[in-house]
Amino acid sequence: MNEDELIEQVAGAYRPRDGYHKAWHDLDAEARRRAYEVALASRSLEAALDTEGLSTTARAVLARITNQTSR
Amino acid sequence: MTDLDVHLAAIVAGDADAFGRWMAGSERVVRESLRSFAAVVDVEAVLQESLLRVWQVAPRFERDGRPNGLLRFAIRIARNLAVSEVRRTRSEPAPPEDLDETLVEHAREPDPLLRAAILECRDKLPPKPRQALDHRLADAGAHDDADLAEALGMRLNTFLQNFTRARQLLADCLKKRGIEVS
Repeated sequence: MNEDELIEQVAGAYRPRDGYHKAWHDLDAEARRRAYEVALASRSLEAALDTEGLSTTARAVLARITNQTSR
Repeated sequence: MTDLDVHLAAIVAGDADAFGRWMAGSERVVRESLRSFAAVVDVEAVLQESLLRVWQVAPRFERDGRPNGLLRFAIRIARNLAVSEVRRTRSEPAPPEDLDETLVEHAREPDPLLRAAILECRDKLPPKPRQALDHRLADAGAHDDADLAEALGMRLNTFLQNFTRARQLLADCLKKRGIEVS
């Protein structure tokens, strides 16, 4: 797995229930900043493609909310 | 600037769709407020946890009369969580806690013209990048990329390369239309 592929993984919205993406730990500080910028740009594109204007981050949060039994 | 507090009453009443509409306008601002932490915490993980906490505590949120009160509250939650993460995982100091208040003024509802342009650009993508893009968007963070790749019969690195290519081709197509994605 090269650095660009690790960055692409970290820039995605998937996160395990216990927190950090495992690929995040394999990136140095500069690569983590690049992953942040890729995610920022990607979420704008995703939200624009979504019929309700939601990014994959927002969809992931909503899925967690609707899976909860109470607040 | 859009005042996203128009969704507050419905959110407090437990309307998850209203919270979705609030996130559509607020997510980017909260994410940008975490930029200085990008090298030391997994911003995506902190952001998702912060948004979840906003939903959980929204019924107890009290407005101060200024617009976008829930967004300011969300930024405080996110930055406090990021600081806690830095303290939990590292010994080095956290980034400064002062916040650029002008960030809140960037709250926006989705732009329908941008959507039309992106849809046109997406339709021009080659099949494999389009497949990777569509599959990851439809999954919305539910599964890791290894699972998504396997479902499409691709190797993980091939899937990621196709997704990167899709994102770059979309950005290039939009740039030709005078739209910069950042």
